[in-house]
Amino acid sequence: MKLLFARFALLALVLAAWELLPRHGIVNPLLLPPLSDVLAMLGELLQRAQVREALAVSAAEVLIAFVIAVPLGAALGVLIAENDYLGEVFKPMLFIVFAIPKSIFLPMFILVFGTGFQQKVAYAAFTTTFVVLMSAAAAVESVKQDYLLVARSYGATRLQLISRVYVPSMLPILLETLRISMIFNFTGVLIAEMYASRTGIGHMIASWGENFQMKQLFAGVVLLAAAAIVFNEAVRWLEARVGAWRT
Amino acid sequence: MADVMPAIHIEGLSHVYGGTVPALEDISFDVPAGRFTVIVGPSGCGKTSLLMMLAGLRAQSQGTIHCLGRPIAEPDPLRVGVIFQEASLYPWLTALANIEFPLSLRGGAMQEHRKRAEAMLELVGLTGFGARYPHELSGGMKQRVSIARGLVQDPPVLLMDEPFAALDEQTRMTMGHELLRIWSTTSKTVVFVTHSLTEAVYLADEVLVMSARPGRIIDRIHVDLPRPRNYEMMATDVFGRLRDRIWQQIRKSDA
Repeated sequence: MKLLFARFALLALVLAAWELLPRHGIVNPLLLPPLSDVLAMLGELLQRAQVREALAVSAAEVLIAFVIAVPLGAALGVLIAENDYLGEVFKPMLFIVFAIPKSIFLPMFILVFGTGFQQKVAYAAFTTTFVVLMSAAAAVESVKQDYLLVARSYGATRLQLISRVYVPSMLPILLETLRISMIFNFTGVLIAEMYASRTGIGHMIASWGENFQMKQLFAGVVLLAAAAIVFNEAVRWLEARVGAWRT
Repeated sequence: MADVMPAIHIEGLSHVYGGTVPALEDISFDVPAGRFTVIVGPSGCGKTSLLMMLAGLRAQSQGTIHCLGRPIAEPDPLRVGVIFQEASLYPWLTALANIEFPLSLRGGAMQEHRKRAEAMLELVGLTGFGARYPHELSGGMKQRVSIARGLVQDPPVLLMDEPFAALDEQTRMTMGHELLRIWSTTSKTVVFVTHSLTEAVYLADEVLVMSARPGRIIDRIHVDLPRPRNYEMMATDVFGRLRDRIWQQIRKSDA
């Protein structure tokens, strides 16, 4: 209870500082507009058709990239974790490629896909697939051999091993994967939009920044932060529910 | 004919790991129905491998295993139940759901499963603990759940692979005693693998002593202590002599 109070006090302190420091000229309000101004701007922006369109485009990109990357990455991850030979062959290469910042590949995506919708989906799906692949492989490997042996001794079929042992055992890690992959996916879309694009909320934020429109810029940041936090917390809540046995 | 048929009949069983490392050598023995047989031997002698082959979970290089008159080629939970090292319960299932697990793999009426699982929970003395998850149970309780799971399909043969190895000495003794109580009400054929000589003598009708690798049966010791067994018997001369004889055999083979 005390801890909860301290946490909220910290949040209130940060928000109050954001409001009061620029308001009293201690921080240049041209660089950091007061919180209330930013929130007012956010309300105004959400009324604009142009902004809503940009949000819709970005949301569509995020969603499609997610729908492509998660099953693809999961399937590849399970494949290299389940098949010893493929695992031995592919894992070293994947680990090495995983270490490379994916954003350096962005110019190639622009050359291949242009600067439109496809480029952003392709780039975000590319970065996300890697994350899902690595986590899915780790999830499969986390299933204890004993659990499988027990099920086999009771005559479990291959399908039952998957549905009754693999899936429940992996579920908490899979949800965590989903959460982390969404962060990468979201980042992928935004980076691609900010780098070279004429649409999307990432593009808008980048151009507000370039034009020194700080209120709009901060309003955009608040909006995206809120969206990311809501998704993250929703999946974390689900994780806690299905992973109660992991203690 | 049927009444003299052994529950388990093993003949000329050998196993070689990876084509080069001999693990088991020419093992033959019978276990009569309803008998409590304990296998002891030094670490790495292949006792667990032997048990896994009996369970149909691992293939042998040579020889035959018959259980209740038919060969064992794959797991057959209606003939053979297995209770593993550590508790090996599923942490995402409650105690009751863990016990039901073998039944649920076969389909059928849920209510029947639930009733049967609850009866097993009572048999192992855990009435009222069905809704607990494994991490909420003590080591001894987990192993009780594991025994209940092994018994739930009522297999005539029960294989136990060092089930109490992870428990502390006191809990281990109590669980051994509990196991004998449960066994006496079920008339199962039990093959029990252990490191503990005291446990072996306390539980067994017959102790099979295995040598160091490659594992062979080097002695068969009949334990004619009366049943039901009690803790006082451990202090008797007969008990001490039996334990000593097993120890001498293991020491000789390990040298």
